[in-house]
Amino acid sequence: MSETSNHAGSRLDPEPIPRRDFLGLSSLGAMCASLIFAGVGIFRLPKAAVLSSPSKKFKVALPESLPAGQGFTPPGRSVALFRDEEGVYAISLVCTHLGCIVKSAPEGFECPCHGSRFAADGAVAKGPAPRALPWLQVSGAGVEYLVDEDATVPPGTKVKA
Amino acid sequence: MNKNKHLLLWSSLGTLALLAGAAVQENIFREWRQTQKALATESGPLDVHLRQVVAPKMQAADRCVSCHVGMAAGEQGISGGPLAAPHKPVGHDPAEFGCTVCHAGQGRATDKADAHGDVPFWPDPMIPARYAYAGCGTCHAYVGIPTESQLTGGQAIFERYDCLACHRLDGRGGTLRPGGAGGMEGPDLSAAGLAGYDRRWYEKHLKKREESSDGPWRISFGKIEEPDRTALETFLATRTGAAKLVEAKALFHTLGCQGCHKISGVGGDEGPDMSRVGLKDPGQLNFAHVPGKPTLANWLSAHTREPGKIVPDSKMPVFGLNDAEIDLLTYYMLSLRRGDVSESLWPKDRLRVERFKEREFAADGATLYATLCSGCHGPNGEGRRFPETYPFPAIANPDFLAAATDQFIQDTIKMGRPGRRMPAWGENEGGLRDEEIARIVGHLRRIGGVPEPKRPIAERRWVKADAAAGGKLYAAYCAGCHGAKGEGLEAPALNNKSLLAAADDAYLVETIGRGRRGTTMQSFGEASTVHPALSPAEIESLVAYLRSWEEKKP
Amino acid sequence: MSNETPPKSALREFLGNLVSAPGRIYRAAFRTGTPTTDRTRSNFIFQNVFLHLHAVRTHRWSLRWSTTMGLGIAALAAFLITLVTGILLMCYYKPSPEDAYNSIKDIHFIVPTGRFIRNIHRWAANIMVITVILHMARVFFTAAYRKPREFNWLIGMGLLVTTLGLSFTGYLLPWDQLAYWAITIGANIAQSPREVTDALNITASFDPGGMQRQLLLGSDVVGEEALIRFNLLHVMVLPLLLSALLAVHFWRIRKDGGLTRPEDADKLLGPPPADTYPVFTEAPQKTYHLAAIVRGRTPAVNQAPENTIPSMPHLFYAELGVFMLTVLVCVGLAMFLNAPLKELANPSVPENPAKAPWYFLGLQELVSFSAFMGGTGIPAIVLIGLGLIPFLDREQRGTGEWFGGPGGWPLVKQAIAVGSAATLLVETIAIRFGWLREWFPHIPQLVITFVNPGTIIASIYAVYSIWLVKRYNSARAGALGLFTCFLCGFLILTAIGTYFRGPNWDFYWSPAQWPKH
Repeated sequence: MSETSNHAGSRLDPEPIPRRDFLGLSSLGAMCASLIFAGVGIFRLPKAAVLSSPSKKFKVALPESLPAGQGFTPPGRSVALFRDEEGVYAISLVCTHLGCIVKSAPEGFECPCHGSRFAADGAVAKGPAPRALPWLQVSGAGVEYLVDEDATVPPGTKVKA
Repeated sequence: MNKNKHLLLWSSLGTLALLAGAAVQENIFREWRQTQKALATESGPLDVHLRQVVAPKMQAADRCVSCHVGMAAGEQGISGGPLAAPHKPVGHDPAEFGCTVCHAGQGRATDKADAHGDVPFWPDPMIPARYAYAGCGTCHAYVGIPTESQLTGGQAIFERYDCLACHRLDGRGGTLRPGGAGGMEGPDLSAAGLAGYDRRWYEKHLKKREESSDGPWRISFGKIEEPDRTALETFLATRTGAAKLVEAKALFHTLGCQGCHKISGVGGDEGPDMSRVGLKDPGQLNFAHVPGKPTLANWLSAHTREPGKIVPDSKMPVFGLNDAEIDLLTYYMLSLRRGDVSESLWPKDRLRVERFKEREFAADGATLYATLCSGCHGPNGEGRRFPETYPFPAIANPDFLAAATDQFIQDTIKMGRPGRRMPAWGENEGGLRDEEIARIVGHLRRIGGVPEPKRPIAERRWVKADAAAGGKLYAAYCAGCHGAKGEGLEAPALNNKSLLAAADDAYLVETIGRGRRGTTMQSFGEASTVHPALSPAEIESLVAYLRSWEEKKP
Repeated sequence: MSNETPPKSALREFLGNLVSAPGRIYRAAFRTGTPTTDRTRSNFIFQNVFLHLHAVRTHRWSLRWSTTMGLGIAALAAFLITLVTGILLMCYYKPSPEDAYNSIKDIHFIVPTGRFIRNIHRWAANIMVITVILHMARVFFTAAYRKPREFNWLIGMGLLVTTLGLSFTGYLLPWDQLAYWAITIGANIAQSPREVTDALNITASFDPGGMQRQLLLGSDVVGEEALIRFNLLHVMVLPLLLSALLAVHFWRIRKDGGLTRPEDADKLLGPPPADTYPVFTEAPQKTYHLAAIVRGRTPAVNQAPENTIPSMPHLFYAELGVFMLTVLVCVGLAMFLNAPLKELANPSVPENPAKAPWYFLGLQELVSFSAFMGGTGIPAIVLIGLGLIPFLDREQRGTGEWFGGPGGWPLVKQAIAVGSAATLLVETIAIRFGWLREWFPHIPQLVITFVNPGTIIASIYAVYSIWLVKRYNSARAGALGLFTCFLCGFLILTAIGTYFRGPNWDFYWSPAQWPKH
């Protein structure tokens, strides 16, 4: 402080701030550090540690007479379950493009939002969808099955009925 | 520079004019204001303000009473047209339950078109007045409804015994006072099925009759035979205050729709679950081929008439019903709207169905058969065939009943025919209980008029013959209808696991030997133009061949 | 202890003060008296915190209709209208999935003027989007973004993005089908970087898309958390941000010396018309100290500021006029056209077609080719390009003139033709013949992401504008061409998305041909 006042510079052209104002720099640095730390902490807030949405695993009882190739969608879920000679499998009905729910169509699935079409095994046939509809993990046997919407399996994975 | 002043002046005046217009519209020309202005009370003009029924339990805030002022709570003596009329007396007070719980529509709206739901984007428009009682289905699930013929029969008996003399029923009868003038009157039985009645009514009535020397008790009441009493009680159980809906439900049971469609978890699953079909959103339906207005009722009627025309890939056959039947079925389907009403508000009948798994159809064999089997096997077990399906077997055929043991029929009902359209009724959650299956078998024996065959041989599997020889015979005489590998073409599949498991040898031998008269299955024990008579040994070899399809037990 | 003032006279004074209080209160509030002279008019403005946003005197060029067309003020007016109507709606709106829809129904049916207010809110929001875009176009075409106004151009872009954000977040609040599926699509656009990370197989370790979506929705589904977040953004965060940006925007206008005008504006304007209030009758006798440090705007001694007129009342009449005109348009539209409200949101049945608000339909058209490029890539490129314009075009020619700069109006006409033709051509090919996936079923996704109708159209624009830069030897010419092309593309894609897309996003000539459903 005393250094600058000693200088007889113009009122309009004062001495530039000394290059090594240790106290000033460290105080500013400390402030930045604490704000950055606070920012990082706050950044964690928007994501809850556990999501409040319902479990992605659910049990489902397949109807006795489900023709091969015809999907069964449990109420409130976006999954179609199928049964054929080789077994039971589940395909997600959430369009891989922008998350609309696809409808089953004669040759597979179609999405009402942007016209993506999928083959019966979920592969993209047309439109903007970047990926095939994922196959979901199914376990169990007989009438009741456990489907996990979070776990995908390679297409063609079927559980013996 | 005056241009800007002009702009300000005219914009402001324009805004002012529009706002004034909005104010007039809001305060004078609203529909409900006009409606209420046309009405009057005994003490002068009606106070014009928005009225509503709030029923927090039912999650209803129904402003219907802003126009239907006569039905608003506490409004009396209003005159000036149909909207002034109070609600007709019903079991549920509109002031407590609101309007939309029964009638559907958009209760929050205050304009007619919006309120009645005749607007795009309102998925649950009002139930048309002619189907009004369909609204009961939102909460109720009437139990023990028999077939149509039992219902009309019960009603006939009720009338034959002149019960209407003292009792009121659905707004009729009850003119006679058994207690004499000023004395007690006969209870109204319109809702006896819901409210219940004294199970010992017959004994009590009889006692009254014996105690009195003359008067109504002596004149109007007499002995009632046991079967008639049963029919009366079945009939009384259906009196729920919604006669038309019960009639519709009885027809639904008569036609056997539930053989393919589940309702509250009971029924086949060949067709879609119908538990909430009355809640379908008309906005999601295809009305391209539906005549008339795009309402759910019209869609349901058109679809029932010709399913394939409305839903292109529908598997449902055309049943050839008449208009009255289709209308009744539509009535019932509109009532299938069991919404998400809080369980604490469920009426007794709904609790009995959903918690105690009571049946919505009557428990006798005839009703069970009609409800679940007659859709495919025909009302009298005569078998049925629809275009593009293989024929369903005639299970009341005397030749069949003469060959099949009760055990065989019960097993077949229980296990079904995997891979074919006959579901396994005993295994599913919505399936049948053993005693119900027994009653169905009993009913079959009754309509077929054939008692259970006595098996001379106690063993189930006694045939020991050359399967290879049978194979040749099979290829020659059977494969044409039953398929080269018994997979079933025109005629039933013979390689079906559960058929071979349930059938004993005697059944197979008898069936081949006798054939089934009235069906394409000929008697192979006798010669015909296309085949010679097969000897018992040949028939046994055929059976041995059929058995070769059975999975070998280790 | 003064004993010279008897209590009687204090009482009298008290009563006298009481009687004169209304007048004093009035004078305390309106210190300047009637604004009739230069001095009182000036005082009227700079004694008032709100009016002092304006300069005391306004250049006549700024007041010409053709300079601004009132678009900025109209956008501000629309914002103020949405602010007021929005606060009114908040009295009844309940941000929870169970109640939101019903509360909108109640606003419609039982809140006096509720439906009207909601309609006004809706229309004002639409008008705000339109005027903001047009305002930007005006600033661009008059080359008003040039030094020293580069920073304000950036602020303006911030305002554009915030405005679109406000519109989009407001869309979810009614919790109807329209809202639910627009938000589902919007949230998945935020997730669309996954299209690239998936193709590169690095999503497991690097997933900016998933993080953005999570941030927006607060969950993995569109539900209560999403509604609360969108509500928070819509009623609190974005309006505050917009207000802050607006304050800077206005402040910069004054700091940058008012509106842009051509060098020869004074010559073009000619003498002031007779009905303006007089200019300074006396030239200032001294320099202003405060004014001295404002860059380049030092009033010289003994020289009257030429061609300015008092802001009070000339500028205020213009501003109030535009404000009331905006109100009139909003109220008029609100009278006759209801804001839409569809069925209650149903997470298992999408709307068909599920359309975003009209100003996003151009984007939705792009998204229907590739989620990432249409929803993230191209908008980001456009925004970066727009932001760079004032730093790339550092020329002087044509500042303040409509379509000023090399090429001028003929260039813009040509750009309209080229931009429209390119957009229509590529769209026609995509609609008529499909795109790469239909031709080569096993084509890698990355190719489609980067080679799709959207990117092709953008590349044609880019090539064309580079050609313009060479042809006219001017960055301004390239910018003019590019901006015009993008405007045409925006309009055409928006029109296609709005009028010609039906169920399953298929092409139809009119909604009458949509399959009956």
